[in-house]
Amino acid sequence: MRLYLTAARFDLVEHARNRLAMVLVALFIPAWTSLAHAVIPSRTVTFRLRATGRLLAPAGNQITQITGAINAVTLITGFMMFAVTFSGGRFDRRLAMSGYPRIHLVLAKSTSLALASGIIAAYATAVICTAWSPRQPVQLAAALFCGAMTYGALGVVFGSLLRREVEGMFALVMTSLVDVGLQSPLASGGTESAAVHLLPTYGTMQAATAAGFTGHPLPGDLAAQALWFAGAALLGLLAFHRRTKDALTARRPFRLPWPPGHRPPAPPAARAPSAPR
Amino acid sequence: MPRFWPRVVPSFVVPASGQQQERATVLGRGGVVKVRDVRHAYGRREVLRGLDLDLRPGVLAGIVGENGAGKSTLLKILSGELRPQRGTVRHGGRFGYCPQDVVVNDALTVRQHLEFFRVARGLPDLRHTAEVMEALRLTEYADERTGALSGGTRQKLNLTLALMHDPQVLLLDEPYQGFDWDTYQRFWDLAARLRDAGRSVLVVSHLAYDAERLDELWRLRGGVLHPATAVPA
Repeated sequence: MRLYLTAARFDLVEHARNRLAMVLVALFIPAWTSLAHAVIPSRTVTFRLRATGRLLAPAGNQITQITGAINAVTLITGFMMFAVTFSGGRFDRRLAMSGYPRIHLVLAKSTSLALASGIIAAYATAVICTAWSPRQPVQLAAALFCGAMTYGALGVVFGSLLRREVEGMFALVMTSLVDVGLQSPLASGGTESAAVHLLPTYGTMQAATAAGFTGHPLPGDLAAQALWFAGAALLGLLAFHRRTKDALTARRPFRLPWPPGHRPPAPPAARAPSAPR
Repeated sequence: MPRFWPRVVPSFVVPASGQQQERATVLGRGGVVKVRDVRHAYGRREVLRGLDLDLRPGVLAGIVGENGAGKSTLLKILSGELRPQRGTVRHGGRFGYCPQDVVVNDALTVRQHLEFFRVARGLPDLRHTAEVMEALRLTEYADERTGALSGGTRQKLNLTLALMHDPQVLLLDEPYQGFDWDTYQRFWDLAARLRDAGRSVLVVSHLAYDAERLDELWRLRGGVLHPATAVPA
């Protein structure tokens, strides 16, 4: 427990000292969502919500606030996780090779990602709630949380695989651009293309939109978003494992259990069922 | 209990004729670090070509070599950071590795680093660490964030993290980079004290200015180790 708590504490300290991320959370989220509400016309936009099949006609500025909030929370958590992964790769390796169990390091990073995503999602939901009243604020926060977690995991993947900081930031921004841009009801009018199902925040977009303008709970879409997170987290985990591997304690290289040129031993004949005790 | 990590070992290796005797000299003694026939290449460029090394307890040894000779590659292999393509590496005790680049977390203070690594190494307290910090004059920076420290002070922390658990084997890659003259002298005093306490210390550097401080000096050239002497400063 001490190992986990120590790693989690220092992980949170590191995030808290990422001043740009803190400024983005404090100022960018309210500034962007408030601007979207104030500047975008309030005339209705009609589109079909894929998850429910129902036609929705929300105010343009309200749906823009939701897509803008998704954009903001995903990019901020993606940036935060990318920054700590990119700059901390060798430090994590040094810790692991000094005996720090990698599972505790991973759990600590997951905790700080979940905490950051939770706070940012709740904050963005609260900001939206000051402008109008979404029908299901809890589902809206949950949808933003799942999207933030997914991009946080993507940030870990980019931070592990890319060699330059600018590459990672570019990859995150472009992913978000394509992801949110293709799904945005304002841009696509609720496109019929099945390809949008595969986008990283499809579940978040469906659940958040439904939360804003319908009374339909959409646990299936939240689960789909959690699946996206799980996939990205698995990739991040593999990258972390590879980067922190100790070559001295690695297992022996794979060897055939029989000498070359010999036939493998025949599989044992079917065993008799064991006698009842 | 010593750890042994078998690697793919060739059935026999015929060393180049000129290397035969040198190798025999290096190999003929028991050590806490045993390296046998380590080979490593980056693409087609072979950096280590069947390198052997024994590091005994109570020895302060140095390895020098030109830029790109493979010194850091060798230390990365010895520390477990890099897996050699062939050969065996055996360690007889806990070791500390000070990498060439300063590997610290800029967001944390010196004290937070010490706490992090104390927990990692399962140390009950930081008494030994305090002695190392005092020897390197790092104590006064304990509450500074490492991102705000000078290059030399960051290197002191880099070195302290490698020494804080009183390792039996010390692998130090250019450990005095950025040190001022006083700190440089104190580093060598510390290394000598550790040697006298029975620790094995291996210092890797690009120049052999301090050969008189070393018990053994090797030059890494052509991917293998040769006995070496100091170069004039």
